[in-house]
Amino acid sequence: MAVALASAPQRWDSPFDPEMTEEQVNDLLGTPAFSAVERELFPVHTPLEGILKNDTRIVHFRPGDIVVREGDYGNSAYLVLDGSLRVFVGQEVPEQLLGRQSIRRRGFLDSLSQLWTNSDVPEVRDTSRYGLQTLRKDDRTDADSARVFIQDVPAVLDEFRTATLGDGAVFGELAALGRIPRTATIFAETEAVLLEIRWQGLREIRKYNEGFRRRIDRQYRENALMVHLQETPLFAGLDNSVLEQVASATLFETYGAFDWHVSYQRMRSSGEGGIDHEPPIARQGEYADGLLMVRAGFARVSVSFGKSDRTVAYLGAGQHYGFRVLYEAWKNGTEATLQSSLAALGYVDILRVPALVLEEHVFPKISGEPSAFIDLADRPILDDSLLEWGVDERFINGTQAMLIDLDRCVRCDDCVRACASTHGGNPRFIRHGKTFDHWMVANACMHCADPVCMIGCPTGAIHRTQVGGMVIINDDTCIGCGTCANSCPYNNIRLVDARSRDGSTILNPTTQLPIRKATKCDLCATNPGGPACVRACPHGALRRVGFQPESLMDEAP
Amino acid sequence: MSSVSRLRAVLVWLTALIIFGLLFLEARQAQISLESAEITTGWWLFGLMIFLAVFNMRKKLSMIPLGNAATWLLLHAVGGLLALVVYWLHTRNLWPVGSYEQLLAVLFYATVLTGIIGYSIQRFYPKRLTQTGMEIIYERIPREISELRERAEELVLECTEKTDSETLGRHYVDSLAWFFRQPQFFRNHVVGSQRGAHWLRQQDTAVRRYLSDDEKAYLDELTALAEYKNGVDIHYALQGIMKRWLLLHVPLTMGLLAIAVWHLLIVHIYAL
Repeated sequence: MAVALASAPQRWDSPFDPEMTEEQVNDLLGTPAFSAVERELFPVHTPLEGILKNDTRIVHFRPGDIVVREGDYGNSAYLVLDGSLRVFVGQEVPEQLLGRQSIRRRGFLDSLSQLWTNSDVPEVRDTSRYGLQTLRKDDRTDADSARVFIQDVPAVLDEFRTATLGDGAVFGELAALGRIPRTATIFAETEAVLLEIRWQGLREIRKYNEGFRRRIDRQYRENALMVHLQETPLFAGLDNSVLEQVASATLFETYGAFDWHVSYQRMRSSGEGGIDHEPPIARQGEYADGLLMVRAGFARVSVSFGKSDRTVAYLGAGQHYGFRVLYEAWKNGTEATLQSSLAALGYVDILRVPALVLEEHVFPKISGEPSAFIDLADRPILDDSLLEWGVDERFINGTQAMLIDLDRCVRCDDCVRACASTHGGNPRFIRHGKTFDHWMVANACMHCADPVCMIGCPTGAIHRTQVGGMVIINDDTCIGCGTCANSCPYNNIRLVDARSRDGSTILNPTTQLPIRKATKCDLCATNPGGPACVRACPHGALRRVGFQPESLMDEAP
Repeated sequence: MSSVSRLRAVLVWLTALIIFGLLFLEARQAQISLESAEITTGWWLFGLMIFLAVFNMRKKLSMIPLGNAATWLLLHAVGGLLALVVYWLHTRNLWPVGSYEQLLAVLFYATVLTGIIGYSIQRFYPKRLTQTGMEIIYERIPREISELRERAEELVLECTEKTDSETLGRHYVDSLAWFFRQPQFFRNHVVGSQRGAHWLRQQDTAVRRYLSDDEKAYLDELTALAEYKNGVDIHYALQGIMKRWLLLHVPLTMGLLAIAVWHLLIVHIYAL
């Protein structure tokens, strides 16, 4: 019998930079950042040299180049090897200065003028605008690479407060490991050489290097955790000294795959998946040893039902699990046993606050009963099916999913035409998508809570707006590399060829290849009145929704 | 229906009732005073018709905030019914005498009738489409049917080759080829009949008794394809009707407005 042989993919099959040499690795090992690292603590299969060789790359920045931008998502951290960088502190930096699209909402007449100014040719671009963008090619790396840069660095240094980052400084690790937006904008003041470490390598270094781990954890405790705890209603009323004790006792845990969207896409195409494939965090019937708070990502709460599990709720960032069980056990003097299970949906970062800390500092101050999840006893299974589907399909990630009620939709495509008329003649979504019962989630950008599309955008063209939280693409700085479209787990981003008014494809003068642009729903950010698709539906069948259990329960048949 | 939608509907109906009530009182007052209320009711009717026609223009102006189309549709539907009763108030009979007025009446009634039919099918057809358990974009239906036909033919050929029997192949050529050629049972699907599904069951039963176990497995697959195709046919029929009824309603409206304008001119030039 013939047997097909294929080697399984290995950890370092795709190095971050295939050009990285042994010599460069040796040089890096000699730098202060790595010379003090105890290399023998790294396992044989994941040596520090291997991490540096495969999970890092050396990047050169020119004066003004933006390295990381506040609000962006990224999966790399940086170590300054040479040069000087500046970080903006304490002041809001104008969006345009950072190469972001500043949204100018059109007036009534301006909007109306689209009636006659829209071209018959779709995706027409004004190429004269492209010269004005603060974007430049990085001629030392691959052809697809380009960077947003600050044009007048001295003026910016005069106008804004900045702090200097010099040799040996490390930044970006919290955002890279915690899947949270970058908290500051950093740019090169001089020619600078940085070591970019992708999250896989960062995770390994954190795992095997005690000093690095402590440093990251300390940074998180000092910077983010205190704020997180202060904003959590459970800890309202606790003074700072108590909060500090809670923070110091809190443990950090990660479940699931960081690049869940890749495995999710694979899972959907193979038809596998479901609750059985989700990494468990806590199991029903087990002893509850602490309060679990979701820092990033999503988790499913379920209870055993028949031969499977039934979803009770899902938790997103800021929500918690296990509080009521711990509180009741403390109040009644019984053992805390979990009444439900918790599993990671894709990827989730958990903060575990030990029960002892709660018993000492939090429970004595509670008045009233903590809320519980929805009681399933009186609920027919059918009522939960929409939520189960939304969780299975990961639509819970969406904050503005396009939900169409097929019992009302007359398939007139007025929504599609309205979208096209507000986007230069080409719609930004497809009235087609996954269906369940009489609901369809159409292929329109859902403006996700965890926007994986933003990870890896080389120019930061795809970004979240500071006001409104929409995920939009700056057409001027999009280089059409398709990273976002490939990353979107829901296939809601499309690449189009830019065209001139006469309909011809615009070619890149250097490569003679068509200029491509990523396009997607922008919630009609520039038009007055909100999304045109919603307004255009004569039957009220189309809505933009966050997949919240409560709202879905209202919609259940 | 959400509470906001319900409140909106109540307000629109209330407004329509108030307008009708006022016009009715005006007409009655005029009748008592031996005067004519036709000018008032006529202008109201014409104004309503213009307002109803503007709904079509609103669809082309989606880029500006002119309110939700759902509100417009509600106003259009209630306004259409109001126009009907105002028309009766205006003409004071169901069917006029003069030929010109009869032309006007034909266009008016036809417009109202197509409107009511269109509104009704838009209320009922989407649910029937959902019940097929599939969703397909109308423009993709021809390609879908073509792919289904290809798969069905491949299946029949494979059955003939693997089982060395032509029974299923002959049956396909005699009966099922017709079914897979293009959308079928259009009228039945439009009126909600199950004839398509019944026909498929008949075909299955008729040929099954002559097949071996191996052939029956192929027949099962073929029947599953045919049942899917029947669902596609339902979409073709219902989506087609939902898309095309406006091709009657809108031209009738345009014709009605043109004749009404002429009627208005004649009345103002000669009758006053």
